Amino acid sequence: MTHTAVPWYCKSSDRLLKRHSLTAFLILVMACGTGAFAEDVSQPNNPPSSLPATHLLGFAGARNNSNGTLSIEGDALQFKKNGKAAAVQVRIASIHDLVLGDLSRQVGGVSVTLAKVAVPYSGGRAVSLFTHKKYDTLTLEYVDAEGGLHGAIFELKKGQAEGLRNELLAKGAQVSNAGNEPTKQTAEASSENK
Amino acid sequence: MKTSRPALFVMTTILLTLVIAQPARLSAESGAQWTVQVSKVDPGAVGLTPSFQVAIYENLLQELSKTKRFKGVLRDGDRKAANATDLMVLKTVVEKYAAGSETQRAVTTVTGATKLTAHTQLSTPDGKIILESTVHGNVRFIGSNLRATYNLARNIAKTIKKSSLPEPTSSFVFDF
Repeated sequence: MTHTAVPWYCKSSDRLLKRHSLTAFLILVMACGTGAFAEDVSQPNNPPSSLPATHLLGFAGARNNSNGTLSIEGDALQFKKNGKAAAVQVRIASIHDLVLGDLSRQVGGVSVTLAKVAVPYSGGRAVSLFTHKKYDTLTLEYVDAEGGLHGAIFELKKGQAEGLRNELLAKGAQVSNAGNEPTKQTAEASSENK
Repeated sequence: MKTSRPALFVMTTILLTLVIAQPARLSAESGAQWTVQVSKVDPGAVGLTPSFQVAIYENLLQELSKTKRFKGVLRDGDRKAANATDLMVLKTVVEKYAAGSETQRAVTTVTGATKLTAHTQLSTPDGKIILESTVHGNVRFIGSNLRATYNLARNIAKTIKKSSLPEPTSSFVFDF
């Protein structure tokens, strides 16, 4: 007579409960995964009203390479530097060109640079491969009250610039290139143009 | 020690002349009588990205202001240019552009340089060319690709600062 030995603490009802909890856990994980995926896909179409951004250059009144928040306030595009109350803004109607692009930058700042130097046998170069992150850029051209042309470049997280661009277009910003198709330019290319 | 009165008088006169003449000489050296209007950068036919075009333009405005060579630096389309006397127009056309890669530069050191070459022309509104030169701006080792635009703008400003601009017609310089 053969039968499997069941420990005294593991009754048949317990095993059933365990199986059910495992199934419930799997369903929960799948649901969360699907939710997160759905969120990622919908993100560019429904951008939040304010986005974390880095002002690279050109926006009148803002310091170059400063981190802050880029938002649409009424009929103006506003950049507010982190930790500062004063915000600078331009009227969306004065924007007459918007171009998307992307760039790759090293992350980690000085600490990563020093760490790369410290790696022996030039191993820091290999580290460089993993310390570069891609960002979106939003380049805009606008005119001031005197009619002077300004250009500004903002760096945003990957996938966020397109949503902001669409929102600006909906609020009255213009693009100079034909059609309303988003123009994506890359700042890094392999070919040499002469 | 006894100093004669005529000698003292001559020395005082020389000192006074130097003190009065110094600001006038400085103002003539700086040549700050011209106003410059920076035109929008022409990307040429090299496939320059709009971010580079904008960055060159904005960096040019900053670097030209730093030279203190001009009494005013105006933007393209600025209505103040219509009333400005002694106006110069700076036109920049990008002739060569090699889009590098910051990652490639960091990994290999010797490849991935971003190179820019531009032809600049400083002229009067009626088309008389005052200064013309070809300037380079590169990033070979450290820095982002956009740093090439800063280097180009700085080199253009340096070229203009070194050159001798003609005296504007409507300004007066008092020489003592």
